[in-house]
Amino acid sequence: MDKFIYFINQTGFANIELSGLAMMAIGLFLLYLGIAKKYEPLLLVPISFGILLVNFPLSPMMAQPENGQPGGLLHYLYLGIELGIYPPLIFMGIGALTDFSPLISNPKTLLLGAAAQAGIFATFLAMLALGFTDLEAAAISIIGGADGPTAIYLSSQMAPHLLGAISVAAYSYMALVPMIQPPIMRLLTTKKERMIEMQELRETSRRERILFPVIVILVTGLFLPTALPLLGMLMLGNLFRECGVTDRLSKAAQNELNNIIVIFLGLTVGAKCSAHYFLTVETIQILIFGLVAFGIGTATGVLMGKLMCLATGGKVNPLIGAAGVSAVPMSARVCQTVGQADNPSNFLLMFAMGPNVGGVIGSAVAAGIFLAVL
Amino acid sequence: MKGLEAISHYHGVSLAVLGVTVVFIALVVLAVIISRLHVVLGIWENPKAWLDRVRLWVFPEKPEKPEPPGPYFDDIHESARQLNLLIHAIGEPFSLPALIEKAEKIGISHAHSVVSHLIVSHLIVPDQKGYFYWNQKECDRLLGKGRERKRGVNPING
Repeated sequence: MDKFIYFINQTGFANIELSGLAMMAIGLFLLYLGIAKKYEPLLLVPISFGILLVNFPLSPMMAQPENGQPGGLLHYLYLGIELGIYPPLIFMGIGALTDFSPLISNPKTLLLGAAAQAGIFATFLAMLALGFTDLEAAAISIIGGADGPTAIYLSSQMAPHLLGAISVAAYSYMALVPMIQPPIMRLLTTKKERMIEMQELRETSRRERILFPVIVILVTGLFLPTALPLLGMLMLGNLFRECGVTDRLSKAAQNELNNIIVIFLGLTVGAKCSAHYFLTVETIQILIFGLVAFGIGTATGVLMGKLMCLATGGKVNPLIGAAGVSAVPMSARVCQTVGQADNPSNFLLMFAMGPNVGGVIGSAVAAGIFLAVL
Repeated sequence: MKGLEAISHYHGVSLAVLGVTVVFIALVVLAVIISRLHVVLGIWENPKAWLDRVRLWVFPEKPEKPEPPGPYFDDIHESARQLNLLIHAIGEPFSLPALIEKAEKIGISHAHSVVSHLIVSHLIVPDQKGYFYWNQKECDRLLGKGRERKRGVNPING
């Protein structure tokens, strides 16, 4: 009988808590969004499953090693985040997947990527005013860059206890780009501006594409060595892709390695969403101000686009400024959709890819600044 | 700590300004370098064309003025001797059209050019009434020099 009672006490039913159930409900909801609505499924499915796994009562998945017993699987996988390993490796995969030609042929669009980072610093001030510490404020505000790996990297280095909320917010807003950005873009532009057709981009040579990652590393590495873990790996991946002699490495970075890291990253981010970390007022503030940061970033990008439109005598469509947030390629696609709604013969996708990948560099630089000064 | 006090405590405004500034400077520097990349590669791939462009930039070539047609004869002395004989035959003063016509008739090629050159050399001089004279003095001087040159004597030192 004692054995039976002991067994009953070891089941989830006997240890169930309301907060745990709430987190499991959130996990199931995110799983639904990932599978049924296809919102960033490659990330939301492992994240939401990770949330489920750690919120079971007495779940050993994140258990610390004690009394000579090894810890839980996710505890060890989480070391990849804690030690800052996964986000740079994800960046290598992104680099190997990204064609930087639109940026190389139209480098002024880097300014749009820079302008869209203003949301990060505006939100940093807002979070300080709300009572967060400077490290927490920096980690939260980087959501405005709309760059999941950067947000995870910075929060793992500066505010690990907020990692779950920050990464869920970052990836949720990236998935919701088609809903968040268009109203802001329409609000800040006139129909005439949205109809602007841009001049065709020049072709880039292979040498330019090979030199690009090297130059980015030389410049940003000298400006901001703290940005090197992210930008260095991003550019290494891109060099694999462009140099033409490392096809196998490029394919591995794009596919196998990237997929493995996405699984580990997603699961462990989800594993950080346990009830006592996640169900707090802070999380709600993070979700709200993450959205604010993202909105400000979109707005400042569009405003910079308007400025460039003015400076070039109407040759730049301001909509592409919204792609300065680095949700690649989602926000570039949104620019294309919004632009085509007013002018069906307008194809902005390639033009928007310039600021879009510029935004990746910009948000990594912004993260590097926080790492350097805080 | 909240509000402006917190922002002030953490030097929030200066950090935000610094952050925006560094992001912009880094990306502007990057944009400038990338925008010049294809130019640098163009120099690397074809340095000669670039050097030619630099040379033209440093020493711009003036547009070439069309040269006035040169004398279509090799020896002014020979032309002067021939026209001297012809003018003696037609008499002075003479009109240029008549001189040119006679010169062409006796087979002096490019008669216009020869006559023009002799006017510039003051061998044929106008009389201010539309006619011309032969300058025998200048002719003797010119032909004398020509003979000395043919003999290999320096006309100045004797």
